Amino acid sequence: MSPPRLTGALRSFSNVSKREDPTEQLYDLKAKRIKRQELFAREGLTWQKIVHFCSEHQDKAKQQAASEELKTLIQAAKEIVGAEHGQEAIECAAVFLFETFQNKDHVGTEETRAIKQMFGPFPSSAAEASCACVARLVAPLDDGKVEDFIKTQRSRYHYQRGSTFGRNVNFSYDLYKLDPLEDLQGSDLDDERVDVDF
Amino acid sequence: MACARVPLDEQQVTESGSSGKERTLPALHPDRKEERCFVPYKPPPEDGSPAEVEEFLEHARFIAEDLEWLLALPHDKFWCQVVFDESLLRCLDSYLQLAPRGLDLGTLPLSPAVADVQRTIHKAVFLTFLRMATHKESKEHFITPAVFGEIIYNNFVFDIPKILDLCVLFGKGNSQLLHKMIENIFTQQPAYYSDLEETVPTVLQVFDTILKKCGLQCEGATAMEPMKLNEQKQPTAMSMKLEELADLVLYLCDSTSTIHAFLDIFPAACSSFHSHGFLSRLPSFYEAAVPDLEKAIRKRSFDDKSLQEDLWKRMSHSCRKMVETTHLLLHHTCLQPILEGRENMQTFAEELLQYFTSFLPEKRFLVDYDDEFPISDDISLLQQALPVIDETRTLYLLQGVESAWDATGRRRPQTEGASS
Repeated sequence: MSPPRLTGALRSFSNVSKREDPTEQLYDLKAKRIKRQELFAREGLTWQKIVHFCSEHQDKAKQQAASEELKTLIQAAKEIVGAEHGQEAIECAAVFLFETFQNKDHVGTEETRAIKQMFGPFPSSAAEASCACVARLVAPLDDGKVEDFIKTQRSRYHYQRGSTFGRNVNFSYDLYKLDPLEDLQGSDLDDERVDVDF
Repeated sequence: MACARVPLDEQQVTESGSSGKERTLPALHPDRKEERCFVPYKPPPEDGSPAEVEEFLEHARFIAEDLEWLLALPHDKFWCQVVFDESLLRCLDSYLQLAPRGLDLGTLPLSPAVADVQRTIHKAVFLTFLRMATHKESKEHFITPAVFGEIIYNNFVFDIPKILDLCVLFGKGNSQLLHKMIENIFTQQPAYYSDLEETVPTVLQVFDTILKKCGLQCEGATAMEPMKLNEQKQPTAMSMKLEELADLVLYLCDSTSTIHAFLDIFPAACSSFHSHGFLSRLPSFYEAAVPDLEKAIRKRSFDDKSLQEDLWKRMSHSCRKMVETTHLLLHHTCLQPILEGRENMQTFAEELLQYFTSFLPEKRFLVDYDDEFPISDDISLLQQALPVIDETRTLYLLQGVESAWDATGRRRPQTEGASS
């Protein structure tokens, strides 16, 4: 619980601020994740583009193998996102997994965190399966080609982004600390209040 | 992107709507806001259980990511978000209210992951407020000052409690930037001065509440009412529950630290506090409350000695902040005008002497004040600036200070040094 604060009293008892409960959530984590998935889906890279990218310039046998891997990836995405979600959400999850694992050979802490942040708790076997699957998908492709492909798709979305505000601000993390006049042991104050005659 | 060299509030933009059809609309328009869904901030868990830490990290990473995104937005999109995204202002406000402060009770040390994301959010929140306090970001990106004033006031982007929170959370190492921010906010929207005037009585009420909780008399009508014979006796600092005593001390510590941080960073606010009689109320509060609370902390039995030690430190810290606040107020409302040679110097000098004289009955306060800011130094400054000052009066004052030292049984530090 938050300790009693002056500004808490001012928020409650004066009429100079908007009355709101800071702990009240307009959006919970589930809603936030869904919104995040929606935003991710709008960032330019789609499942269709990945399917096309993985199949183009390959002979039939390799195309067949890639197709199988893509199916496996979709299945793993389904397990991660939850079977109750529609095809669109599952394909979006598959895109995310492809992007997350395209340059990884195992599921590390960062990848686990990123998947959980996007979809919530998930079966680790599905993450392992998608990591292995993506590794096999990108193996026949030239080094750097996958990254270039993702970068190209993403840059279409990011054209609007400016440089971050405040990057040159010299910010200090210093916090106010207790600055007592004296320690308890060092106090030589009289125990009783001093009555003074005038 | 909106067009250049025209204030944002007058810009129009053409963009394709949801139907794909192009349309022109004001640059500041709710349809241009992104549905980002900012989540409110939650402080790091106190007991540090893995599940709670994980939940904190998840929340915190969303906030860090969203604020990073926000700060990278172009000027027009940033302001659309600020004005029309309710979840953003709620997220920022939740941080101001719930973020741990340097003065909070010591908790378990944060794990590296928690500390890391906490630092990221701390900086991002400050930069967001900095950007929101800036009406002119560059030659091309600006808002008409009067419109900026209306936007931040009408949408509660800033309000007095938020400004106080900003000072106490970020003021230690960013006082210059904060000063510029707050100065700009008050300059572009003078209604904040009226809000401040409205807030000071509530601040004074906080001190009265502390006195009342300690069973001590406070100024005002209710204090003068006779107590009914069958009325239950008000608990005192010695008899109240230990948790209540701890809460009172924490409250006092937070209140005095917050007021001091604010006035130190934005001295222009001193006149509002001064006009509500803060310079007489604070010393009398000090005189009434401090000895009782100190005695309770020292004499009561604490199972947890570290709590006793901590409460003592907070009490002592509060005393320092009350003394420093009094000095700040005296300096900015009376001494500064004299030293700057403003008109009516005599009136300011008279007021200063009047305040010092009013402190004479508040012996404990007077001694603590004189210990930190020797009154003889200020008198000496006064005599240099105004040689016509009444010597009998200053002598009386200095003798009063000496007798307060004698009456409290304390000795000046330098006297102790000389006698040893």
